[in-house]
Amino acid sequence: MFTQILFYGYAAILLISAILVVSARNTIHSALFLVLAFFTCAVIWILLRAEFLAIVLVLVYVGAVMVLFLFVVMMLNVNLEPLREGFVRNLPVGILVALIVAAEMFLVLSTKGFKLAEQSELALVDATGYSNTKAIGAVLYTDYLYAFEIAAVVLVLAMVTAIVLTMKKSVNTKRQNPGHQVRVKRKDRIRLIKMDSEPVNRKTGDTKSDDAEKGDVK
Amino acid sequence: MIHALVTAQSVIAAPANDYGLALPEIIMLSAICAILIIDLFVSQNKRIITYLLTQATLIGLAIYTIHYILHISTATEYTFNDSFIRDFKGDVLKIAIYIICFLVFLYSKDYLRERRLFKGEYFVIGLFGVLGMMIMVSAASMLILYLGLEVMSLSLYAMVAFNRKSSVASEAAMKYFVLGAIASGMLLYGISIIYGVTGHIGIGEISSYLGELAKSKTTMPLSLVFGLVFILIGIAFKLGAVPFHMWVPDIYHGAPTSVTLYIGTITKIAAFAMVVRLLVDGLGPMHKEWTQILVVLSLLSLAVGNIVAIAQTNIKRMLAYSTISHIGFLLLGFIAANENGYSASMFYVITYAIIAAAAFGLIILFSRKGFESDNLNDFKGLNERHPWYAFMMLIVMFSLAGVPPTVGFFAKLHVLQALIKADIGLTWLAIVAVSFAIIGAFYYIRVIKLMYFDKPVTEDNTPITAGADMHIVLSVNCLLALGLGLFPGALIYLCSLVFTPAV
Amino acid sequence: MTGIGLQECLFLAALLFCISIAGIFINRKNLIVLLMCIELMLLAINLNFIAFSYFSATISGQIFVFFILTVAAAEAAIGLAILVTLYRNRQTINVADLDEMKG
Repeated sequence: MFTQILFYGYAAILLISAILVVSARNTIHSALFLVLAFFTCAVIWILLRAEFLAIVLVLVYVGAVMVLFLFVVMMLNVNLEPLREGFVRNLPVGILVALIVAAEMFLVLSTKGFKLAEQSELALVDATGYSNTKAIGAVLYTDYLYAFEIAAVVLVLAMVTAIVLTMKKSVNTKRQNPGHQVRVKRKDRIRLIKMDSEPVNRKTGDTKSDDAEKGDVK
Repeated sequence: MIHALVTAQSVIAAPANDYGLALPEIIMLSAICAILIIDLFVSQNKRIITYLLTQATLIGLAIYTIHYILHISTATEYTFNDSFIRDFKGDVLKIAIYIICFLVFLYSKDYLRERRLFKGEYFVIGLFGVLGMMIMVSAASMLILYLGLEVMSLSLYAMVAFNRKSSVASEAAMKYFVLGAIASGMLLYGISIIYGVTGHIGIGEISSYLGELAKSKTTMPLSLVFGLVFILIGIAFKLGAVPFHMWVPDIYHGAPTSVTLYIGTITKIAAFAMVVRLLVDGLGPMHKEWTQILVVLSLLSLAVGNIVAIAQTNIKRMLAYSTISHIGFLLLGFIAANENGYSASMFYVITYAIIAAAAFGLIILFSRKGFESDNLNDFKGLNERHPWYAFMMLIVMFSLAGVPPTVGFFAKLHVLQALIKADIGLTWLAIVAVSFAIIGAFYYIRVIKLMYFDKPVTEDNTPITAGADMHIVLSVNCLLALGLGLFPGALIYLCSLVFTPAV
Repeated sequence: MTGIGLQECLFLAALLFCISIAGIFINRKNLIVLLMCIELMLLAINLNFIAFSYFSATISGQIFVFFILTVAAAEAAIGLAILVTLYRNRQTINVADLDEMKG
């Protein structure tokens, strides 16, 4: 009974925050409601005994992906108000499409035919000693090794792409080049100049030449 | 304790996995990493080294795979705990992908250089795309198929957006990205339903489960059909079949022509492989259900592709609609739902990729710095300027239209024959397909008319700037459209061989 | 989990899926919200997989979700990178402005 209340409560929050993601006027509000949706979804996943993924969802999505979204929203600094013009006009069509699709989905999904485990098998997952992380870890690097390697490929690709598309070498800023700094030689910095000693004017203590005797610093 | 046992068992079971079967993928990934790093140490005027390494990788893999099927094995084998499949048809498709990708990069070289896009990352991302296709071709599980598809799609989004200064290209990339992500979402929703019904994500396991189900029941459960519909929507998006085709013309038009060349050729082979793995290998027992939906997709693609193409003034957009109509033809082979049909489709997609490579290669050939040559008017009076290439374009257009004796004709003929021989009461569909092909011939022949019978719009005698390698390879590629038409036997035999069950 | 059946979870996922699809249709104006709708859609799919995984007592569904999460993160990075290049070229992220190509 308690889990039931939890489930329905969080499901309601999830759906409301999803609707607000779509309908919020301010893009930053949308992003924050999406964070809320991720959090509540993580709770529902924990109810479904998927703790590891729930924590990954919070760490990766709330921690990294949504921060990236917020960075971009702030960086682009778009004018918010004119962006909402078409919203009301498209709203009835959108709701109609969503309702029709939802109704069809409900009709189909309420039919039986999905594979259900025996009660005894479910009890095994519900048992106190069961560790979801262990269960995933046991298969992730053995049965799903190939998929794991491909996931690495996806991440490398994303990195290369993001850098290629957005990095620009700006001409105006002055920047340090660590390579040059490390490779610098003594002769690049100090130049020894042979010169005759000048007679010093005893009264003022000045020399005639402006150059320092040891050379100049580049 | 139990956990330790599980791990120990997996370690013992490991020798059954011959990772050597995945050697092409391993080589490809190593080569990508090596090229990515070598490219850092190459100065801009020696960038050709990156290009040569890329081409060497592709050729090396093609030679290795040909050697493998000729001298080692054509048997179906699994590795990586049944998530990787190596079979004859996969190897043939991979060879086609390597060779056509080689052509694509060769044609793109000068184009990229003139537009300051000749960067190491372009080739690295291109190879990542090929790796994604290889993963898809060899996928034996829904998970691997999805991951391969994403590796390919992400590379394509990046390549479309590669020209950062171009406003049109970034618009095209954004559209492609959004629609591609929705398509992946649809596909995944469908896969999740199939997983919910069968409890498996391995393609072989799903197929045997559904086979059992088909024996015990006359109709498939509603939930399975529901999942199937979502999977088909995803596939239709990725193939560019009507009514999920809206992205195709914009992306063909907006992307740099070298990227259009890439998208218009090898990704079609990869998409074919995806349909084979998903529908034939995985959901084969449900073919009664999916053929009905494919009939609608095919019919609409043929109609929209051929009719809307007539209204186009940009040759890249025209070829985009032509692609849509060719996808319609490709699906006819799947509708036949037997080995005959699949092999006809395979012949169709390989030859189409070769001809499309020639067509886009010619567009690239005529373009030069600051001039894209993608308007139909740019082809006016081509015969007076470059009679040889006007003739090449003639062959390619005839082949796309399906005029004998070019290969396009035999490809269409085989698909239609397979459909009629399947004897499933769809002869009317074959007739409709032929009539749309005749309508479609109009806009191909219009290009020929422009080249041979119209006066040039501007006095433009700029010579073609491409190097000798491109002239030779492109001519061979165009003549291949004629040569394969005159001697189609070997390739047809190969395509029928790979789909024969007991090989 | 006592008291909650597979159906409830599937309905929740289906509703979430529909909201995200509707969001994509309604939102003709802001590309960032469009990208967020895609994230929402993937969340619905993940919920589906996890529900099936729990009720059929197989782990493969959760593994699938693990990889979808990885890919979706990569996808978000690339999507935002494209968005940034688009903004630099156009100074706008308005969906209705994406009309340079017609035909």
